[in-house]
Amino acid sequence: MPPTRRHLLQRLWHGFAMLPLAQLAPRPLAVARRDPDGGPALVRHHPPRARNVIFLYMDGGPSCQDLFDYKPRLAADDGKPFALPMEPTQFNDNGNTLGPRARFHRRGDSGQWISDLLPHLATQADRLCVVRSMVADFSEHTNANYFLHTGHGLQGRASLGAWVGYGLGSEAHDLPAFVVLNGGLIPPGGVDNFHSGFLPAHSQGSVFAMRGATIADITPHEAAAAQRAKAALTAALDDHTLLRDGGDPALAAAIHNHELAFRMQAAVPELLDLDGESPRLRRLYGLDDDYEPTRIYARQCLLARRLVERGVRFVELTCPDTGHDRWDQHGKIDAGLRDNCRMVDRPIAALLQDLAARGLLDETIVLFGGEFGRTPFAQGSLGRDHNPFGFTMWLAGGGFRAGTSFGETDEYGYKAVVDPVSVHDLHTTLLWQLGIDHERFTYRFGGRDLRLTDVYGRVLRELLT
Amino acid sequence: MPPRPRRRVSAVAVGLFAAGLAAQARPLPPLSDAAFAARREHWAWSPLAVVEPPGPATTHPVDAFVDARLAAAGLRRSPSATPSTLLRRLWFDVVGLPPPPEAVVRFTSDPSDAAYERELDALLASPQFGERWARHWLDLVRYAETLGHEYDFPVPNAWRYRDYVIRALNHDVPYDQFVREHIAGDLLPTPRRGADGDDESVQATAAWWFVEQTHSPVDAKKHEADRIDNQIDVLGKALLGLTIACARCHDHKFDAIRADDYYALYGFVRSSRYVQAPLQAVDPAGDGYRAALAAQRAVATAWLAAAPAAEWAPLRDDPAALAPASGVGPLRAEDELIASADGDRADWILTNDGFGDSPWHAPFCPDPEALAPRLLSLPGPFWLSAAAGSGRDGVLQTRTFPLTQRYLHVRVAGEHARVNVVVDGLHLVRDPIYGPLHAKVHCAEAHWLTFDCAPWRDRPAFLQCLDQRAQDLADADQATRPYPDAAWLAVQLVVLSAAAEPPPTTANAPLPAPGWSEPPPDVRTALTALAKATAALPVSPTIPSLGDGTGVDEHVFVRGDHRRPAAPAPRRFLRALDGDAPLPVMAGSGRLQLADRLLRPDNPLPPRVLVNRLWHHLFGRGLVRTVDNLGALGEPPSHPELLDWLAHDCVAHGWSIKHTLRLLLTSATYRQQSRRGDAGEVADADNVLLHRQNVRRLEAEAVRDALLAASGRLDATCFGPSIELPHSDQIEARGRPRASGPPDGDGRRSIYLAMRRNFMPPMLQAFDLPTPFATVGARSVSNVPAQALTLANDTFVHTMCERLGQRVLDEAGTADDRLTRCYLLLLGRPPDATERRLALAFVGDVAVATTDLGAGFADPRSWAALAHALVNSTEFSYRR
Repeated sequence: MPPTRRHLLQRLWHGFAMLPLAQLAPRPLAVARRDPDGGPALVRHHPPRARNVIFLYMDGGPSCQDLFDYKPRLAADDGKPFALPMEPTQFNDNGNTLGPRARFHRRGDSGQWISDLLPHLATQADRLCVVRSMVADFSEHTNANYFLHTGHGLQGRASLGAWVGYGLGSEAHDLPAFVVLNGGLIPPGGVDNFHSGFLPAHSQGSVFAMRGATIADITPHEAAAAQRAKAALTAALDDHTLLRDGGDPALAAAIHNHELAFRMQAAVPELLDLDGESPRLRRLYGLDDDYEPTRIYARQCLLARRLVERGVRFVELTCPDTGHDRWDQHGKIDAGLRDNCRMVDRPIAALLQDLAARGLLDETIVLFGGEFGRTPFAQGSLGRDHNPFGFTMWLAGGGFRAGTSFGETDEYGYKAVVDPVSVHDLHTTLLWQLGIDHERFTYRFGGRDLRLTDVYGRVLRELLT
Repeated sequence: MPPRPRRRVSAVAVGLFAAGLAAQARPLPPLSDAAFAARREHWAWSPLAVVEPPGPATTHPVDAFVDARLAAAGLRRSPSATPSTLLRRLWFDVVGLPPPPEAVVRFTSDPSDAAYERELDALLASPQFGERWARHWLDLVRYAETLGHEYDFPVPNAWRYRDYVIRALNHDVPYDQFVREHIAGDLLPTPRRGADGDDESVQATAAWWFVEQTHSPVDAKKHEADRIDNQIDVLGKALLGLTIACARCHDHKFDAIRADDYYALYGFVRSSRYVQAPLQAVDPAGDGYRAALAAQRAVATAWLAAAPAAEWAPLRDDPAALAPASGVGPLRAEDELIASADGDRADWILTNDGFGDSPWHAPFCPDPEALAPRLLSLPGPFWLSAAAGSGRDGVLQTRTFPLTQRYLHVRVAGEHARVNVVVDGLHLVRDPIYGPLHAKVHCAEAHWLTFDCAPWRDRPAFLQCLDQRAQDLADADQATRPYPDAAWLAVQLVVLSAAAEPPPTTANAPLPAPGWSEPPPDVRTALTALAKATAALPVSPTIPSLGDGTGVDEHVFVRGDHRRPAAPAPRRFLRALDGDAPLPVMAGSGRLQLADRLLRPDNPLPPRVLVNRLWHHLFGRGLVRTVDNLGALGEPPSHPELLDWLAHDCVAHGWSIKHTLRLLLTSATYRQQSRRGDAGEVADADNVLLHRQNVRRLEAEAVRDALLAASGRLDATCFGPSIELPHSDQIEARGRPRASGPPDGDGRRSIYLAMRRNFMPPMLQAFDLPTPFATVGARSVSNVPAQALTLANDTFVHTMCERLGQRVLDEAGTADDRLTRCYLLLLGRPPDATERRLALAFVGDVAVATTDLGAGFADPRSWAALAHALVNSTEFSYRR
């Protein structure tokens, strides 16, 4: 009796499992255990506290002084010359001190300051771990985007999501480990923000578009029966040539890969079908909101939950277009903030509640923030320029301390002065929660063992439960 | 909330922190001389060993080396691959395309050694050879046609470099010449000329500009440091197999490379500039150019003779009045002269030929287009971009000087022209930050441009004056905008000053109109002669390239921090290969001397690196597996004697790439089968000893090109501007080209697809086209669902299969023949009996039952479905 396809594949896998898979991954991790699906290595340096990450990426750099970082002095000095020395800025068009654009209140039991621009998120204050002292290395969007995503300010390194996907793989057998839900605006620097860089290509972010075809080439050109018939022929021919010409791990892996692709093809329509979600939940997210960007972002947030449920490790959301050039309010700051906040406020609050209600928040890290903050002094009259010297990001779930704040900026919200947190520290801590020690998580490229965190980074234990 | 320690930091510390210099990075102790000497013992630095192949002289030298190692391990080489497998391997490896059915039939009916060598020689001589191997080289120089970053600005004419590499490989340009051109192609005393007279050598230097450039960096010097880091990294890895850029922040951790080696190289790059070089520069001292100048002057004379206006009479009577004083008074105490048209010629750097080689002396500049002289109230000598008539590119630059004063005043006149102040080598002079360093010139009267350089005080700078037709890096969108022929620029004086007001000038009354409505016959005759003389000068296309600037050394930056320059690092090559004496006095950048040092005959690295790369592309793995790093962190060679023998042999054969490839391809080692046998899997599981060939997935380009070739859609046109991508739903971002490209790339080979940094072709990326940011000598070979999804569902793939379905129907008469044809086209072999049975059952039966796959043997859709199933089989995208 001729061996079955499954037998054949198993024989190939087991027969060659001990060989270095040079054709597939030139330098597999020393600590790696190979995923039986031929996926990436599985890294566990210590027991993980979280399994997934949802990164709510606020492209352009939101002005934290108007949203989270309450500074009475900033309000008092509104319109006066700025009292501190100013660093060079992107536009060098610096004006006077610009007071907060909204009123702040203490929220929830924890008493965190959140402005009136984010009324729904404010109800979730007790779930947030707010870091008010982020610093970044770059004042330019693209460098800062690459830096926040890859730990390096230039093109070509691997994205945080790619590192996580490379290290942990996907728990879903029919979806990739790193998914980008593109609301409409790919950040400056392009898809390289989600790239695998030097890591094997399977770890790169799969971009799901919210308009048009969700994934490139996910839709078959023919009816399911026709595709099945073709696939059956391909499989039979593959089996035949493997038997006749001998096997090779590369060929076996390619066959496996075809099977994953076909599973994805079936899984994605099911993922996108939101009919099963309750009307209450739809309202909570804002799926039927009057404002189109809110509807799009609501769908992204809901899909993020569904992806995490299915075992996708890292989900990143880019922003829909509100017509204000992202969160990059160099001018007309009030209209920009109003519309951007309206876009994300309700969906994010719903996401946190939904994750918590399903017990997913404990093991899912939700990260909110942009590549830098904005200046406390005006650019022109009603804008703010880029400011990497002190800004706010927040985290929720995944073992981060809820209802707390960490770090401080100066009395204008300009520079971090207490407990500055670098992007590397943030990366280090995210990896730590996922069970990965950033110093031991390396990849050999171009003669160096490269890390996400370069030579920096410390675990921010103060943020962790 | 529990109490926690608070870490209050000073404002200064915040600045440092934000610049990525947190105290977490521990300084390394400097490398001692003893440690340096010990590292110098690493195998890669040692001279090429002089060895002879073991065994009888009749054995192919490559096989002799390989067999000896196999025998020592108790192994034997595998038998030769079957003729069809071998031919398919040969075609993909040499030209990146599948063998056409005729070649398969020809070779399988006569698989003799002689027939093999005929096939091989024909492939090495074909134009497709260069298209295949150029792509390997483009990976090394991170080839891309845009600058990346926020707007992904295009680099005008970058694609010409791709064509340069294809031509160089097809002509088998000696590799040492090829390397020399990359380092100093713009400086060679006798550049290599193509058949059409184009300067080939200068085109190689475009490779320096395939580097990401930040849009409006806040710190220009940091940007320069990052750019040059990347440029040195590529130089080191691509040409030397060394990670020199690891010595940016400290002495190299593992190799005999010190930080001052890195900064010595930095000086060469820093002393060079971006220019768009003409492929056929016209020699300003040559007859043609002289004739144009003379014709220009004849127009002036005729014009003066005929001009009735009384104000012109003095000029007619007194030739000296043609070149009166500049009208600029003596400079003030607060002024510093940087360059003057009647001053030191060495203060100016001219590229392209628009400005000629000497300043112009005439109060007007005739314009053949307008049929009337253009009045120039710019007395005194000045540089004129239209000296030999309109239509020539003009770029005039100054030497590099420090901005010791706040204001820079430049006296100019012109139309459709511009002036940039380039600070710290930042050629991308654009808003928002650098807008004040850019000025447009659109006034024919002499006037001053004043640049307020306050934010850049004491930074090194130079002035770049361009008329509109010349392209600079910052004005990349010029390429798509038509410019008027009337562009011209006159430049007279550059003054640095503490004063915001320019130096005083005597009033220049505009010269009156000539006083005729139609020029008189003599003037018209002279104008016609000028137009003819100008038209006789070729207007050359240009290419981004390096040009020499002022020679300046750099300092060692303490821990790589450009704000902390320490000891000077005079320009020289690597100490480990060339000692630590600075190169002797150099004019300009000194890159020509650098090329000589790098290519000195006792430097073993270039030939080792080269032959190892060639080996890698034929066997899937180099003799040194880490092809871009022969240093201590790289792997040692599996066959050191063979590596050195090949390196010697290549140099002895004039650094001929085709010679070495032919040598490797004729070896039995190359021709053996890839099938795994039990003995080898135990003793040589990783196939280090080469007891068999390796199975390899086809590169991205080969997968796509194979689909084009098999379907008959392939357009074999060579060279030319790149083909833009079609737009897709997944990728919308800043800088996306407005127009969507053709869905099938017009059938052109993949190497001709546009390589935009932020918009790389998704299909090629899915199959591991590398991101163009660093040298990639060995592409990763991944296995991702996107590959399978592409082959299963991509519209391009379906279109190709549909064409193929029609093609086999048209080209063969019976079902059997059609099936054979389909197999030959896609897999380079006929089907065996089992495959025939499965495939015919599918076409005639299964496809019919599954209604939308076609109606059977006479329906092209059924054959397209079969083709598609074969394209999705692993055999299609792998070469064995």
